[in-house]
Amino acid sequence: MFNRLAFIAAAHAAAVLMWIAAMLPVAAHAADAPSVLVIDKALSVVTAPGIPASFTSTTLPVSLPDDWAETRPRFEGSVWYRAGFDRPPGTDAHDLMAVYIERACSNVEVYLNGQRIFSGGRMSEPVTRNCHYPQLVTLPGVLLQDQGNLIELQVQGHSLQRVASRQRAGGMSELKIGPQALLAPEHARRLFWNVTAVELASLVLAVLGCVMIGLGLMNRGETYLAHFGWLSLTWGLLSARLWWRDMPWDTGVMEFLFCSAFAPMVALTVLFLLSYADLRSRWIENALAAQWVLVPATLLLVGPGRLFFVASIWYPLFVLEVAAATVLHLVVTWRRKRQDFWPMAVLLVAIVGIVAYELVRQRGWADTLDLPLTQLAVPLLFVGIATRLLQVFARTLRAAEDGRETLEARVQQITAEIEQNFAQLAELRVEQVTEKERKRIAGDLHDDLGAKLLTIVHTSESERISTLAREALEEMRLSVRGLTGKPMRLADALADWRAETVLRLGQANIEADWRSPADETEQLLPARGFVQTTRILREAVSNIIKHSGASHCKVRCTISDRQFGLTVQDNGKGIPMELDGKLDRGHGMSSMKHRAKQMQGQCLVESGPGYGTVIRLTLPL
Amino acid sequence: MNNILLLEDLPEIRSWLKVLIKQVFPDAQIHEAARVHDALELVSAVKFQLALCDLGLPDGSGVDVVAALGKSQPECQSVVVTIHDDDDHLFPALQAGAFGYLLKEQARELIAEQLKRMSQGEPPLSPSIARRVIKHFASQTQPQERPQNMPHVALTDRENEVLLRVAKGFTLPEIGVQLNLSRHTIADYVKQIYRKLNVSSRAEAALEAQRLGLFRR
Repeated sequence: MFNRLAFIAAAHAAAVLMWIAAMLPVAAHAADAPSVLVIDKALSVVTAPGIPASFTSTTLPVSLPDDWAETRPRFEGSVWYRAGFDRPPGTDAHDLMAVYIERACSNVEVYLNGQRIFSGGRMSEPVTRNCHYPQLVTLPGVLLQDQGNLIELQVQGHSLQRVASRQRAGGMSELKIGPQALLAPEHARRLFWNVTAVELASLVLAVLGCVMIGLGLMNRGETYLAHFGWLSLTWGLLSARLWWRDMPWDTGVMEFLFCSAFAPMVALTVLFLLSYADLRSRWIENALAAQWVLVPATLLLVGPGRLFFVASIWYPLFVLEVAAATVLHLVVTWRRKRQDFWPMAVLLVAIVGIVAYELVRQRGWADTLDLPLTQLAVPLLFVGIATRLLQVFARTLRAAEDGRETLEARVQQITAEIEQNFAQLAELRVEQVTEKERKRIAGDLHDDLGAKLLTIVHTSESERISTLAREALEEMRLSVRGLTGKPMRLADALADWRAETVLRLGQANIEADWRSPADETEQLLPARGFVQTTRILREAVSNIIKHSGASHCKVRCTISDRQFGLTVQDNGKGIPMELDGKLDRGHGMSSMKHRAKQMQGQCLVESGPGYGTVIRLTLPL
Repeated sequence: MNNILLLEDLPEIRSWLKVLIKQVFPDAQIHEAARVHDALELVSAVKFQLALCDLGLPDGSGVDVVAALGKSQPECQSVVVTIHDDDDHLFPALQAGAFGYLLKEQARELIAEQLKRMSQGEPPLSPSIARRVIKHFASQTQPQERPQNMPHVALTDRENEVLLRVAKGFTLPEIGVQLNLSRHTIADYVKQIYRKLNVSSRAEAALEAQRLGLFRR
């Protein structure tokens, strides 16, 4: 994964570089058409601006291009160039002719045969900055003669010492005179690369910078976003010096400002590289802030005349700082085995390389490529870094989002669990309280009511009242049992009923025949079901003992999955009919039926005089 | 019967029971108590042959008196006389050494009959009590875990057989017929079961106390 990413990034960077190389304008002049006249020699004379040139004593023959830093060091002001030419071969009076000046720094005015035919802008301070603008000046047909034409150019420029970069130093390229149609493409190409491309890069960097600053503001934790945003924005604004021609202040002031602006930019670069590697150093921050003050201070101290000298001391320092920060960043990310080490390494090394090359160019140690390489390639690499940062940021954001979602799901799950636990606890608590309360009521019933009923049972003169009180006591006990009892195994309940029934019938000398399923069932009977069935059975047995006169009693139990059945049959005299055809209510039949109904069961009584009685009880389980 | 302890807090019931006891054991001397405290004092002073103890008393439970009797006068028959018919109340009393139980609201004749039978060694045993006894012995600690001085109490096969049948709802006379045993033999088994329940419960309680560190040996 890591290697693959690195490879892709490297391939990407290589492709970008190749594209840049392919788009480079062809530097050789061999491509020029034979009908284009190249003027590489001229007479030059130094004058004060505005004063008409007199090519007399101070006239100096120069070869073009004329680099002032070489030919007239420390010169500051206006230089006239004069050259004579004939109409280029292969052209006639109908052709629209033009002169193409690849570079005239800072500004130029063109005269043909004594007539001014072009002005690039202001010739006095603040001088229009046309250094990067190639000029294509059409030559009016009425002025142009077949032979002996005189072209004069007044160039207003600055000494290298007073500007911040070599490209801004005064100078004049060679002239090309030919058909306008032949020269226009070359002019357009150069204009695009020198100006339009840089303008685009500035715009892109400014927009990118604003976006990154915005992201950085929203994510205060990711300081590297804001650092990179400000870096992009500053670079974009600084690039304006290439295409912004008419500045509000003198060249000296503007050059000072531009040069000073490099300090914060370097500071931002270093801070970005450190913060992106999660490093922070108070010491470095303080040093950078000090540098920010120190750069303009030194520039002011030495004065505008040595601006380039001071700048060329600072620039290597800046490059060293950036290179050191880059190395630090790469070492740290390498040690941390960060995934984006290779892409970042390629991009950063490329940037440092380009900036170092720019430094060499400024020193004059290398041929000028005639192309603002730094101003074009660095923004592209910046875009690469920004893409990388945004990618990382988006990934972090997605990871955070995923994490948040996971967290949310977990929180919901835990909340549900807590709620469930709470509900269970509450339920349990209610159960406990209920259980406790039931026990208390049961205890009270036994102790108070039970004792009183018991007293009635054993002290009443009337047998009927004792019996009633005894029955009431039994009822009370069963009620308490229903109140506090736990579910009972059906098999145990059957055993209890059998023991009681057989004992009671035996005491009454009635033969009992109880049959229940032999196999043990694990089915449960709720406490209330047990109590109610006990009452019904007890009532039925009481009826048999008291009223039936039976000698034999059959009890049968059936258990199915959902239902439990109990049949009590005697061979007694049966229950007498009442007048309305219903069975005698005095035998407790209705209360038995009522109890069965309470348990969603039913109790059927079949009886007739002389046929005995059958009670069929069925209850759902 | 010489000395009979009667522990009951309700005066009416106490006098009623007293009449009843007089009827069954005309020669006995009846010592009455209304509180656990009084009963325990009597236990330490008088040697009883029979004790009728209520469970719920103002100053405690009759189970304590049953336990005290079981410890100091093992030959005394303790019978629980109670209004509670559920085994939650009865079983602890049986574990403490009670020999049987009488339900207070039953008719005088019935109680007299049961009392007579118990004094002759025929205690009652209900299915629910039988189930509790079975559960008790089933949950006994394993013999190897039992300290040397603790008696290992186990039921015989016959006693188990009787218990199982009672638990299934068969009455003692029915079981006698099924197992071809006399009424007295069955009664002896039941007596043995009660005795073993008491011994085993005491051993268990001692073991539990030891486990809790109440004993220092």
